[in-house]
Formats: sequence, C-alpha cells, structure tokens
Amino acid sequence: MKTTWKTALAGALALAVSAMLIPFEGQAASDIYDGKVITLIVPNSPGGRMTRYARLYAPYIAKYSGAKEVRIVNKKGGGGVKGTNYLWVQKPDGMTIAFTSVPTLILAQLSGSEAVQFDATKFVYLGRAATEPRVMVVGGTNAIKSIQDVQKLDRPFINPSQGTDEDFYTLAVLADALDFKLKIVTGYEGQADTGVAIIKGDGDGLLTSWAYTIPLIQNGDMRPILTIWHERHPDYPDVPSALELVKGDGKESVQAIVNMLAMHRGFFGPPDMDPKATAALRDAISRAAADPELQAEGKKQGLILLPSDGETEQARIVQITNASQGLVPVLKAALASIK
Amino acid sequence: MFEAIVGGLTMLLTPQAMLFMLIGVIYGLMVGILPGLGGIVAMALLLPFAYGYETAAMLALLLGAHIATIWGSSVTGILFKVPGAAKSLALIFDGYPLTQQGHASRALGASATAALMGGILGAIFLAVSIPIVRPIMLFLGPSEYLMMALWGLTIIATFSEGSLLKGLVAACIGVLIAFIGMDPVTATPRFTFGSIFLLDGISFPVAMIGLFAVAEMMKLFVKGGSILDRDVTEQRSTVLDGVKDAFRHWWLVARSSLLGVWIGVLPGIGASVGGIAAYAQAVQTSKTPERFGKGAIEGVIAPDATVGANEGGGLMPTLAFGIPGGESMAILLIAFISMGVTPGPQMLTSNLDLVFAMMWIIVLANALTTLIGLAASPYLARLPAMNANIMVPLVLSVCFIGAFATRGYIEDVVVAAIFGGIGYIMEKYNYSRANLVIGMVLAEMIERNLHISLTLYGDSFIFTRPITLMMFIFIIVTTALPFYRNWRRNRAAAPAAGGGQ
Repeated sequence: MKTTWKTALAGALALAVSAMLIPFEGQAASDIYDGKVITLIVPNSPGGRMTRYARLYAPYIAKYSGAKEVRIVNKKGGGGVKGTNYLWVQKPDGMTIAFTSVPTLILAQLSGSEAVQFDATKFVYLGRAATEPRVMVVGGTNAIKSIQDVQKLDRPFINPSQGTDEDFYTLAVLADALDFKLKIVTGYEGQADTGVAIIKGDGDGLLTSWAYTIPLIQNGDMRPILTIWHERHPDYPDVPSALELVKGDGKESVQAIVNMLAMHRGFFGPPDMDPKATAALRDAISRAAADPELQAEGKKQGLILLPSDGETEQARIVQITNASQGLVPVLKAALASIK
Repeated sequence: MFEAIVGGLTMLLTPQAMLFMLIGVIYGLMVGILPGLGGIVAMALLLPFAYGYETAAMLALLLGAHIATIWGSSVTGILFKVPGAAKSLALIFDGYPLTQQGHASRALGASATAALMGGILGAIFLAVSIPIVRPIMLFLGPSEYLMMALWGLTIIATFSEGSLLKGLVAACIGVLIAFIGMDPVTATPRFTFGSIFLLDGISFPVAMIGLFAVAEMMKLFVKGGSILDRDVTEQRSTVLDGVKDAFRHWWLVARSSLLGVWIGVLPGIGASVGGIAAYAQAVQTSKTPERFGKGAIEGVIAPDATVGANEGGGLMPTLAFGIPGGESMAILLIAFISMGVTPGPQMLTSNLDLVFAMMWIIVLANALTTLIGLAASPYLARLPAMNANIMVPLVLSVCFIGAFATRGYIEDVVVAAIFGGIGYIMEKYNYSRANLVIGMVLAEMIERNLHISLTLYGDSFIFTRPITLMMFIFIIVTTALPFYRNWRRNRAAAPAAGGGQ
C-alpha cells in the first residue's frame, strides 16, 4: 500500500514537472502558435483574387506554424486602406496579421490619402505570396503601335481608370518619366468597363496584369506596348520594359515604382510585432510557399505564385521608402489633375 | 450550332454533374436566404472544393449555387421585407404587401416561376443574340448608360402617390446618401466628417436592411400581432395561383427577361439597377399603374424575371472579350483557366458546347431551384403569421448579423439601426422609402457616366450621339405619359366628382 502511495506521488510529481517544462520547451519559435487561432485580415472583397490567395495559403501557414487555424477575415474598403488601418492598431502579439497588395498601401500613403492612418514602412513584413508584372496595353485597333507612338502623340494619351489605385499612380509616374501627356478619365466601374472602353476606342490604353490581358492580346483586342518590370516578359520579348527606356531623373522614380510593384501580394504584421512570432511566421510562410501541395493547388486554381521571404521584403521596404520621396510631387500632381 | 446545343446538354447529363448541381442549388438557397451574403460569396467559398472534378460538374456546382442564391434572396424580401441582396430589392415593393394581405404563397409561387421563365428566356435570347452581342457592347457607351439611369429615375413618380414633392424629397435624400464617401471621379471625401468608416460610403445592402426590415420590425413591435393584416387569418391564395399568374403575364416576363439579359451584358450597369429598371417598365407599361406598391403581382414577376435572365447576360463580357463582367464571372473565368480553356471570343468557335453547357446549367439550375422553391413555399408562407414577440427578435437578429456580415464592420450594424429609424419615420409620414432607394442606386451611376460622357464626348454629347438623343427623347415621352394619363383621368373624373373636392 505504501509503495503504491509513493508510486502515485512520484507519478503526480513527474506529471507536474513535465507540465511545467512543456511551456519552457515551447519557447522555441515554432511552438508559439500551438493550438492558437491566427486572424488573417484581408482588406479586399471575399470573392476577389487576393482572398483566394489568402485561402490557398491559410491552411499551410497553420500547418507549419502549429496554429489550430488561420482564420480569414475580410475587411474591405478604401482600396485596402480601411482593413490596414485596423491592423495598425492591433496588439503586436502576432495573432493578427494581414495580407493584401502592398504597393497600394505605400502609394496611398505617399499620395497623402486622407484615409491612411498607418505608416507602411513600420509594418513587419512576413513574406510575399506572389507578384505579377504589369503591362501597358492599347486597344487592338488603335493607331498607337508602340510606346514611342505614345511619346510622339500631339494630344494626351487617354486612360480610362477605375480610380486612384496603383495603376493610376504608376501611369502618372511613367508619363512623367517617359515625357508624354496623359489624361486620366476616372469614373469607370470595374475591369470590364475600362477594358471595353479601350477596345472600342473611347480611351487609348491602360495598365493591367499580364495574366488578365493575355487572352485579350491573343484575340487581337489589345496590344502590349510596355512592361512595367525589371526585364521584358519572356513570352513577349519585343515589348520593351519601362526601365530600359527611362533615362536621367526619371529612372529612380520608375525603379522605385517597379520595386514597389514587386512587393505586391504580401503578408505583414502590426508595428513592433513580437520577434518570436515574427520569426515563426516568416518561417511558416516560407515553408508553406515551398510546399509542393500548395504549389500544385495554386497551379490548379490558376494562381501565379512567386514567393519571397520576409527578410527580403523588409529590406525592400527600406529601399522603397528612401527612393520614393522623389515620387511624392508626381503622385500629388496626378491626384490634383482629376480634381 | 444544334450539335453544340445537344453536346452541351450531354456534358451535363452525368450523375456527378447532376449531383453537384443539386448540392450547389441547395447550398445557394441557404446562402441566399441569409441577408448580406450573395452569390459571389457562395461561389468563392465553393471554388476550392470544385477542382479535380468533371468540367461540367464543376461549372454546375458553381453556377448552380450562384443562381439559387437569387431566389433565396427573393424569399426573405417577399416574406419579411428583408432584401437578401441588392438585386432583389425591387421585389419587396409589391411582394411584402402581398404577404401582408395573405398572398405570400402566391407571391412566392409567382416569384419562383418568373425567375425560371426569366432564366430560360434569358438563355434563349442569349443563344440567339450571340453574334450581335459584341457589336452592341461596342456600340453603347457611357452616354447611353447615363440615359438608362435617367430613365430609371422616372419611376419616382410611381411611388409619389399623394405628394410628388414628398416623393422628390425622398429621392433627393437618397441621392445625398449616395454621395457620402469617396467621390468616384475625383477621389474627394464627401459628407464623411473626418470619419474613416464613412469613406467607403453607406453600404447599399446595409441601408436596405435598416430601411425596410428593421423599420418594419419597429412598426410590428409598436403594433403587435403579426406581419399579416389583422383580418387575414389564413392564406387567401395558393402557390399554384402564383404559377398561373406568371404564365398569364407571359409578355411582361418576356420583356423583363430581355431587359435582364442586356443589363447583364453591358458592363458598368449594376444588377441592382436591373431589378428597379424591370419594375419601372412594368409600372410604365401597365394599364393600372396605381396598383403598384400595394400588392400588384406584376411587381413581383417583372423583377424576378429580369434578375433570372441577368445571369446569362453576365456571361457575355466573359465570352465575347474574355473580360469578367463582375466578381462572380471572375470566379468562373478562373475556373475556365484551370480547365485549360482560354476565355474569350474563341470559346464561341472552339468551345461552343461548353458555352451551351453553361446555358443549360442556367436553365436546369433555375428549374431545380423553382421546384424546390415551389415545394417549400406553402411552409415558408406560414412564417409571417408568427407572433411579434417571436418574429421581432428573430428577424432583427438575422438583420444585424447580415449587416455585420456584409463587410465585417460593427459600424454597419449601427448604420442598419439608424436607417431603421429613418425608415420608420419615413413610413409614418408618408415619404416613399422606395424613392430613397432609387435615388441611392441611380445617383452614382448618373454621376460616373455623366462625368465620363462630358470628358470624352464634350458638353453637347446628348445631341452629337444619335442613340443617346433617341433615348433622351424616349425618356421625355415616357415621363410625360403618366402625367398626361393623370390629367385625362382627372378631367374625366371632374364632372362625376362635382364640387366634392
């Protein structure tokens, strides 16, 4: 009986000690999220492409971080600004992060948008899921055949636009750097509206993603004239990239814009996010991106993946901030031109 | 072409495709009944599960769910004055009075049948008009869209019975509410008073939930009893009466369907405009327009047929250009790409059977929704008889959850409550809430298209663009017509009434 009592006591002690030890072992970066729920704010529409990327990544981030679930919460509005404002004031414990178009946020901040309550340079960047080069296209039957034709125009280049998104600002920077006159006609509603406007000749051209425009180029409804990227698109080697055409002062602005666009679909957390949580999530996002199952799933869903790790993205944001101050007058002038 | 029509149907007649369509439709009906969640959310949530199956099964699941959400939204609109989605808003104008009068079964029957007929006619119109869709899309532009929106405004007169001034005041309030937020043209904040929440404006579905459903529950709470009029003790008509109504008004269904197809085809015209435009044409072509707003069955049939037909039309920008017409079509576009099909005009030559498979899905999913709907209608129609003590907390909870679900902001719940108060006061003092909604929906469309037209075509664009001019003249004539009719009626009635006025 005595032995049994002692054995029971020893067992209870052992249990208590091991129970106390577990949390200490749990300090390893990857155990921070064990059994927890991570809230992933997507400040875009629940049916949109951004949310689909988030849905693709969420289970894999949970898998590699040890979290019970990565819960997606859509807080759309203000072109992603409202949901990002929400993240800005969240507790930096790493339990709430966001995923959206990073260039949109930086450009909204640089242009002095009244809605912005955050400083995009202070967020903790956790990794990029994808980025897609942008392309400048004109209508298939338009007399403009190349970017040189745009520069030679004796009238402004008419751009039907949905509003002050990243394409609006990027085009304004390009017009300034490549020295052509630009007239942005705002008020269009959605891609179909702007797309049809240039196909029928109401407008000259617009900026969009390669993925969206390829079927239209193949049909002859649109013609690519400029790639907004570090290099030419491999499938369209005759279309020049913006960086190779710009000379002088404009080069720095275009470089800043290209760097900004490269950040595209990124994960980020509130300022001063817990370093252990940051390390754990950067690791989980990188491992998720390398998971062959996620890659196969992405391919099946037609989602282009071009991941990059959190440290690289954090370094990029510093470069962008330093270089982009020169952009501010151009962005503000673009905003003033539609008032 | 005939081969493609048969080929499209054959693609669908597999057990997997049929089962997926059934699952999609049942799921869509449930999502549709919840306010704030619409077809886009339904499709987006289904998309990850749809991969790896037969092409037809995948499309049947996605499109089936999308189509079923539409009728799901109509149900709550008719029974509780809770518009499930912006596009089914027009249904409450006459659907809810019918419920109050004990004709809920009939209204639901007519609504489901009209949606089915609209879906079928829409698919047929679309199949026939495939060759002309592209040229027409390229022919019409912002100035013509502006005229369509102006034509929509003419319906204000219909809801202004008693006082045209009150009607105009209500519409103007609607326009002012639509102006809250970031101006779509110059990105200038308007009426936001420094609030970040207001930068995106007042969410249309949230305002509708407040204005109609919350206000109605407030009224019910004050009045007590149930939604039904005091003298209504049982249903006064059956689902079959509603089905017959839809067939009796076949010409209205046909016109509304054609309108629905074209509203879907043209980018830049929202689906919420579709229901209101359908309602407007039903009123304007009726010999007894005064019955509308008080329980005219045509007021249910026309919007449902239009919304039913709208889906087929929405496929067209995707098929004609490879440009998604809206978010739901963007999801379908993704599905196409994952199947290795390049969306665009070549689909009309190389994948015509797939195009027809989609038309068949629209037809069959509509038929399935209607069958389920008709079977469920007699049971659904009993719900409004519930006592206020049960009904008010139940409907209010659904409303506020729906308001929150729309964008995920708690402020939207406050907005729904405020609009509830506004709706209650408007109802009490005879200011038409329908006019407020019309002002709200059309203001932005008018603003956007007026700005684009002036910038692109110059100040006198109405006179330099022939189609715009023709539409402008048409608006003047149709606006003058009810006034002329009234004048004639008054003149005829004057001798009979004598000096009694």
